[in-house]
Amino acid sequence: MASVEELSPASGPVSARLREDEIDDDEDEDLDETLVERLWGLTEMFPDTVRTAAETSAQCSVSVLKKFYSFSRSALWVGTTSFMILVLPVVFETERLQLEQQQLQQQRQILLGPNTAMSGGMPGMMPAAPSIGKV
Amino acid sequence: MNLIRKHCAHMGSVLALSSNPGHQNWPFSKDHLPSRWDAHPAHWDRPPRWERRDGRLPNPGSFHSLHRSCKDVFPHQIEGVKMIINKTLSSFFKVSHTLHLSAVSPSYYRFHVEHLQSDDYSKDKDAPALIGEMDSSGSLNAHALLHLTERVRARTVFQTQQSQFVTWQFETEYRGSDFTAAVTVANPDILRESVILVAHFLQSVSSGLVLGGELVYHRGRAEEGGILTLAGQYSGPNWVATLNAGKGGAHASYYHRANKQIQVGVEFEASTRTQETTASFGYQMDLPEANMVFRGMINSRCIIGGVLEKRLTPLPATLIMGAFVNHKGDKLQVGLGVNVG
Repeated sequence: MASVEELSPASGPVSARLREDEIDDDEDEDLDETLVERLWGLTEMFPDTVRTAAETSAQCSVSVLKKFYSFSRSALWVGTTSFMILVLPVVFETERLQLEQQQLQQQRQILLGPNTAMSGGMPGMMPAAPSIGKV
Repeated sequence: MNLIRKHCAHMGSVLALSSNPGHQNWPFSKDHLPSRWDAHPAHWDRPPRWERRDGRLPNPGSFHSLHRSCKDVFPHQIEGVKMIINKTLSSFFKVSHTLHLSAVSPSYYRFHVEHLQSDDYSKDKDAPALIGEMDSSGSLNAHALLHLTERVRARTVFQTQQSQFVTWQFETEYRGSDFTAAVTVANPDILRESVILVAHFLQSVSSGLVLGGELVYHRGRAEEGGILTLAGQYSGPNWVATLNAGKGGAHASYYHRANKQIQVGVEFEASTRTQETTASFGYQMDLPEANMVFRGMINSRCIIGGVLEKRLTPLPATLIMGAFVNHKGDKLQVGLGVNVG
């Protein structure tokens, strides 16, 4: 009987007040929690194994990315400086030689006519150098 | 043990003195005088072994030059600013002045005099010669190479550090028809009862194969010991492979001449005393049309280096620029040099 009376509209305001308080408390709780915490809370629905697996894979991939980044930095540095010291002087000199020979050929062509210009006419041309563009 | 290694290193540096700063050529016929840049297809300091002459095996040369063709491909570490002025006073006398300004070691002026008893520049390095070098700090370096008879050669070396004698060694070498035997006495000291004796033997076994050994005996007041090292060298038409193996370590080298311009050398050294192994790769590019020679090397100790020698054609001068970088320790050594004459 008491329950019926409680459920009657006469006891309305009390329960309404209670519900309002509850609703207020709920809203307060919503305002205190940040978005990140709410999203994090969503992960609690997954079982533990899935959570730990995801955590370790995420950590692994982050550390691998870091190592790869530092490795690529040092590899790029070492590669560039080694190329600069070991290969660049030879490249400069061969390019200069090629340009000189091209110029000589052009001069010969201008001086003696187009038939006398020969590619590969200079003795001792380097076999390793790329072929001269103009014939 | 340290004493013996120091003396072996001294002997190595001493022999480096007798090689020219440029890179010499072995003439196959004495008719033409090869210029400095016109190298024979293979680089030897003696006739190549695969050529049988009169059906007999040729002489294998000296023990120190076993690894030389590979070592010549590698660049020398240069540091600081160096100026070398060479003057040929007559066909026998050569004089050179060297000025070296350095950041890591004391700077010096060095005076070098050579009296070669042969007037052919392209002759064998072991021609009879008297060589003397004097430093601005008072250090002396003197070599005398004598041909006692047609087959017997003697060499004497004195090295001082300011006023103290560091090395005094006497070597006798006998060159037979297909073998070489040499005995060296280094730093004999009667007062301290110490001496280092080295015996070398090399035998041409076949047209491409040379086998031999080295026996080092050292005796000091407190210690006494001997080390035996076996050596073998096999050469083909344009390559040479050499191996030295003994209790003190192993040293293997391979030299290959790819074409007229490119030579390649691979070297592997292992030492039991320092428990270290090093592998190196070096290459040399000759471009006579561009008047340059470039040598580069890369090491298993993360050291790379390159040296460029450029001939400034109208002038009798050579410009040398080199850099060595140690990637592990992030260190750099840069050198610049000018050779005049």
